[in-house]
Amino acid sequence: MSLPSKPAILGLDRVRYSYEENKDVIRDLSFSVSEGGFIGLLGANGSGKSTIMKLGSGILKPSSGTVSLWGKELKKYNNRDRAKLISYLPQTLDITVPFTVKELVSMGLYPYDIPPAMNVEEALDLAGLTNKANALLSDLSGGERRRTFIAMTLVQGAGLLLLDEPLANLDIKYQIELVRLLRKLQESRNIAVVMALHDINIALQFDTVMLIKDGGMIGNGRPETVLTRTMLKQAFDVNMEVKRSDAGRSYVSLENNF
Amino acid sequence: MSKVRITLLAVFAILIAAGSVFLGPRIISPFGISDTDWIILINIRLPRVLVAMLMGMALGASGALLQGILRNPLADPYILGISSGASLTAAIGIIGGMSFLGAFTIPALAFVGAVLTGGIVGGMGWKRGGLWPERLLLAGVGLSFLFSALLMLMMSVSTDEGLRRAMLWIFGDLSMSEWSRIPYGLAFVVTGLLLSATRAKALNALILGDEFAHSLGFAPQRERLVLFIAVGLMTAASVSLGGMIGFIGLLVPHIMRFFLGADSRLLIPASALGGGTLLCIADLISRSLLPPMELPAGVITAIIGAPYFLYLLRRKNVLAI
Repeated sequence: MSLPSKPAILGLDRVRYSYEENKDVIRDLSFSVSEGGFIGLLGANGSGKSTIMKLGSGILKPSSGTVSLWGKELKKYNNRDRAKLISYLPQTLDITVPFTVKELVSMGLYPYDIPPAMNVEEALDLAGLTNKANALLSDLSGGERRRTFIAMTLVQGAGLLLLDEPLANLDIKYQIELVRLLRKLQESRNIAVVMALHDINIALQFDTVMLIKDGGMIGNGRPETVLTRTMLKQAFDVNMEVKRSDAGRSYVSLENNF
Repeated sequence: MSKVRITLLAVFAILIAAGSVFLGPRIISPFGISDTDWIILINIRLPRVLVAMLMGMALGASGALLQGILRNPLADPYILGISSGASLTAAIGIIGGMSFLGAFTIPALAFVGAVLTGGIVGGMGWKRGGLWPERLLLAGVGLSFLFSALLMLMMSVSTDEGLRRAMLWIFGDLSMSEWSRIPYGLAFVVTGLLLSATRAKALNALILGDEFAHSLGFAPQRERLVLFIAVGLMTAASVSLGGMIGFIGLLVPHIMRFFLGADSRLLIPASALGGGTLLCIADLISRSLLPPMELPAGVITAIIGAPYFLYLLRRKNVLAI
């Protein structure tokens, strides 16, 4: 949800996309991401989350409709200028050669001729990787590896991070750590974060949840308004409910599904 | 730190090249050069060392590029079938006794074969407006088999003399090196190296995957095409200069990665220097060990290089897995 006071960074307007003709995987999707937005893109497997992330980052071009960045059509940007504004992290991070953490983080400088404000050391520090700077990527834990890529996007200096399922295959401890790091960046640096995910408990930590089903948006707003029993049933085909603990914390109750 | 290492490597390469001009079956002292020595140095040794350097540089750099653009640690310049195509056209020339361009005939035929094959592989790897690594790899492997089979067929029906010469050429023959071949070899290898040096950042990004490359501000398909052309030029030049030399393109980039890391900005020049140096040493050994007989340089590179590589493999992290 974009508040009127905050300008929209990314906007999708009636976007359709199909990998094969006449088979839309994304249908008539419109939404916008404002400065400093903290958005969870929630949906079941195959609902179209990854495709939406790729459309938003310009990897895929919409079959119809427009994707715009700061009010200008995304496809009209040259690659380097776009890279200074949006950073995208794909779901799979299979790297076949032995790059070190520092080498990888430094790649965030590639779109620039003159290095931007954030230097590599600062990014490593923010991501808690200073003592791992010279470690090989292959020697890191899953959580550290994800943080390395986040540090790279920091150096890249983009105001919008599109993260495709960054929590997949991470232990719960690292999932929490990563979401906390992103929240810190959003709060301290006003970086907008859009994260595709399918864990409803994690989705509750975001300011905004977009609920996706079959390539269309069925809900967009604060988690407690979007994640209702009916909506969750519609999106995941499971009976569940968001409840509040005595301490005021929200959590998902899976009820009698087993 | 890395600049120091690459400078050291360059100095080492120059020393080896300079040294191997004076060494051989007849050792020439740089302090007392006779007239005969001058002729040997200028007409035989120097062009040969330069050819070895150029070929080794082309192969080492191409290997580093291909392992990156195909995202496959087993890739080498020969995997794309370029050398098989070159060998086939060269063998047709040798066995058919062609000489329409004089001494240039066989190198020219090899170059044409290499470029044509590169074009066919590129065409087959092309889909939806771009080159796809898996398609390139499979097209290259498929064509390699076809061309090797045709080559075998031709060799099995040819005369003894033609067969022997074709075999020598295929296993890497630097004994035919002469000045006339150097300018065009130099032109293609330098063009390839410059192209790849300017695209080294893009190569690093491509190694992470096309989506990363896009996110970092590159057009992955365009970058891959430019790098593929660089590989094609360098491999074609190398094969046409002196036939096929195994090992360098596959393993020199890995050896350099052990010492200098995976950053392509260092790895490309380092693999070029390492490849050139190794081939110089191998050629020196091949012409000095059992004179007047010459051993195929490609055999020597593998005999020196492979055990060293295996030793490193035991000791260090080769891959990110």
